[in-house]
Amino acid sequence: MTTDVVYTPNTYKNDLKPVWCPGCGDFGVLNSLYRALADLKCEPHDTVIVSGIGCSSRLPGYVETFGFNTLHGRAIPIATGVKLTAPALKVIVVGGDGDGLAIGGNHFLHAARRNADISFIMMDNEIYGLTKGQAAPTTPVGDKTKSTIYGNPEAAVDPCALAISFGASWVGRSFSGDVKGSTELMKRAIDHRGFAFLNMISPCVTWRGDDQHKQIRARLRPLPADHDASSRETAMRLTNEGGPITVGVLYENKQPTLVDEMLEVRWKAQGEKQPPTKADILQQYMPTF
Amino acid sequence: MKQQLTLSIVGSGGDGAVAAGDILSMACARQGLHIIKTEAYGPQIRGGESSCTVRMSSSPIYAQADAIDALVVFSWADFARFRNELVIGPEAVVLHDSDDPAPDEIASHPGRKIVGIPFAKLAKEVGAPNGKNILSLGVVSAVFGLPADAIRNALKNRFKKKTAAVVEANLKAFEAGLTAGAALSVGDQRLQYTPGTPMLLMAGNEASAVGAVDAGCRFFAGYPITPSSEILHFMSEWLPRIGGTCLQTEDELAAIGAVVGGSFAGVKSMTSTSGPGLSLMSEMLGLSAMAEIPAVVVNVQRGGPSTGLPTKSEQSDLMHAVYGGHGDMPRAVIAPVDVEDSYHATVEAFNIAEEFQMPVIVLTDQSIAQRRETLAADSLVHEVVDRRIATPEELNEYRRYRLTATGVSPMAIPGMPGGMYQTNGLEHDEQGRPSSMFVMHEKMNAKRYSKLDALAKKYRLFRRYGPEKADLGIICYGSSMGPVREALDQLAAEGLRVAAFVPRLIMPLPAADLEKFISDCDQILVLELTYAAQLYQYLRAQVDLPRGKTHKFSRSGGRSLGINEVIEQVKRVLVPSHQVEEVLA
Repeated sequence: MTTDVVYTPNTYKNDLKPVWCPGCGDFGVLNSLYRALADLKCEPHDTVIVSGIGCSSRLPGYVETFGFNTLHGRAIPIATGVKLTAPALKVIVVGGDGDGLAIGGNHFLHAARRNADISFIMMDNEIYGLTKGQAAPTTPVGDKTKSTIYGNPEAAVDPCALAISFGASWVGRSFSGDVKGSTELMKRAIDHRGFAFLNMISPCVTWRGDDQHKQIRARLRPLPADHDASSRETAMRLTNEGGPITVGVLYENKQPTLVDEMLEVRWKAQGEKQPPTKADILQQYMPTF
Repeated sequence: MKQQLTLSIVGSGGDGAVAAGDILSMACARQGLHIIKTEAYGPQIRGGESSCTVRMSSSPIYAQADAIDALVVFSWADFARFRNELVIGPEAVVLHDSDDPAPDEIASHPGRKIVGIPFAKLAKEVGAPNGKNILSLGVVSAVFGLPADAIRNALKNRFKKKTAAVVEANLKAFEAGLTAGAALSVGDQRLQYTPGTPMLLMAGNEASAVGAVDAGCRFFAGYPITPSSEILHFMSEWLPRIGGTCLQTEDELAAIGAVVGGSFAGVKSMTSTSGPGLSLMSEMLGLSAMAEIPAVVVNVQRGGPSTGLPTKSEQSDLMHAVYGGHGDMPRAVIAPVDVEDSYHATVEAFNIAEEFQMPVIVLTDQSIAQRRETLAADSLVHEVVDRRIATPEELNEYRRYRLTATGVSPMAIPGMPGGMYQTNGLEHDEQGRPSSMFVMHEKMNAKRYSKLDALAKKYRLFRRYGPEKADLGIICYGSSMGPVREALDQLAAEGLRVAAFVPRLIMPLPAADLEKFISDCDQILVLELTYAAQLYQYLRAQVDLPRGKTHKFSRSGGRSLGINEVIEQVKRVLVPSHQVEEVLA
């Protein structure tokens, strides 16, 4: 039956109109996601998109799959709960840099550490957009925002470096203006077994200036043709270079995922034995000597 | 002969006071005796002072006794740390190590029998240098007529992983204790009992965990916190064996998040925590209410606010449980009254959460959660209710939040063809699409709150004790039930007409039943372990408490409510000439 079903980007579109500003980078992310889902033939009812709070976190509402727009910073734990209880589902987390790195930073680190089987597509616009223009953990030092009137006193974090150092098994970066390239990277992130982190550079034309697309484009740089994605050291060096924005798959490895490990725990706990009955469980509290 | 007996064993870490109490309790449970066992420790992670108190009775008991009848002390310096909690009875038998004489203020009591026994020396003599705790059990067994055979068997069972030599040495220590005890002349101290059917011996946290598993919980996410961690430990051991998953998260925010995720995906899910963790979970419980996703949280109350008294009981999370969180947030709160009830309350919490698609807090407390109690082997059975999953017909033009008479809408689960919906913590329409319109917000609030009405009609969970009409009616909840119930028996024997109403469902309250109770009593006494009288304040908001005829007794936790304390408070109201002793002596 499934071979007869045709999956196109339209399969995943609904009639809800995005609330985003004209020129927002997130449109490109959404279009890339429609294409990636179609190319991967993701069954809509077997796909769950979870987000936090922010401009970009509105995205699940615009995709015809199961969707859950949750709390600020908490998309990853919720997605982890979904994946652990229903491993057959494709679970994708989308959200912004404030959501993923500030309020939800702890969850981001631990999802990478435990290699949770989810792909996290983080739309990085270097600013808080929904709350109208405050500094984010990704805002460059010195930049004036509504909450850093005299210039941002704090250094920005590189989300890819963070993901790599905490053990993420797939780390990539893309630019939302490049729909074709982003689609390919999203496909690889969604297909990856384990925690895949895709840093989507997604300009905010409202709070970061309307020349953002042009400025970012000028800084884009593809990975060297001979890039060894299995090397953490090389990935860390390339992602941290400052001026240029390196796009592509920075780091990738194969390792057991959280779902694998939990199955392993079940095996260690029970093996081929019959599951315990209630009487077996109560035995420890029963003085039967 | 005694009808009941309370024994405390006190020592330093390594003395084995708690192990001795465990062995004794298991032996008594084997003989069908009713047991309540508590432990107390100093703040040290390892070592330090520890104590174990076992109350034994041939008839049912519901609380710890106010004073101890028998005390085994290996070190008075350790005992001094517990003198706020361990009250030695006026006629107690005090057994201490001969090398460490009893302090004057303890020994000078004329009714007490103070006996020095060379515990350590005797144990060494029989080749069990670490067996003074077991030796003391022999003495106790001889003096109080506690079942020696059952203790021997419990001991062998406890040490079954040790070498035969270790078991043998401990058995010798026990026999030496029996001999030493038989030689004492302390009068007839024996406990009267007839051996009965073996009983389960378990703690409230364990009963909650068994309840969760029985209710169908197959996903648990939690973060360690005293005094609830035993639930995490249980789940870590047993869930994988029955095809479930236990996840230790990075914090409580993630724990309740994972629970909401697991439940959204169709699996009954739970977390457990204590006050500080409940504070962190508040926002996510709001999402559970808003997105109508079942979630169960067992909150084991401890002294607060902030870090407070992590190892001691208090009832001061009540306001947080019933009102905590922002926005208009329907939730159910259910409070177990003892260990056995921790099982039933947890199953009921799942039943309510699943049926009404809302967060449910099991509001228990440290004293129930960590004390061990005997319960009948067949008492842990409860009916299970499952979630209202959308039928194929209902998936036709499916609306996740369809307005219905009960407020409950059929739920689709990810993976169900045709069940797709997008939901959120934003206010939303019947399809789950965001809406910031007043009319929709009002409609959806009404939908979500109407579930509480349906819930209150179906679940009238409370206990009522005492005469139909009473001069005084006590209202209390949770662990206060035990001492109140025992006090009622004593008060009735003195001819006082006192009744008690113990709501198990705290939110929504069984209001009609409670109002009937209030009208059946001349005066009301609200009794609780919070300084700020949270239950009293809550009841004032929920039901009509008669002005001028309602009294309250509320004090800080940190020490469990005493049976005598309850009696004192009742007499304060009913016997005008009665002088109330200073509560915090």
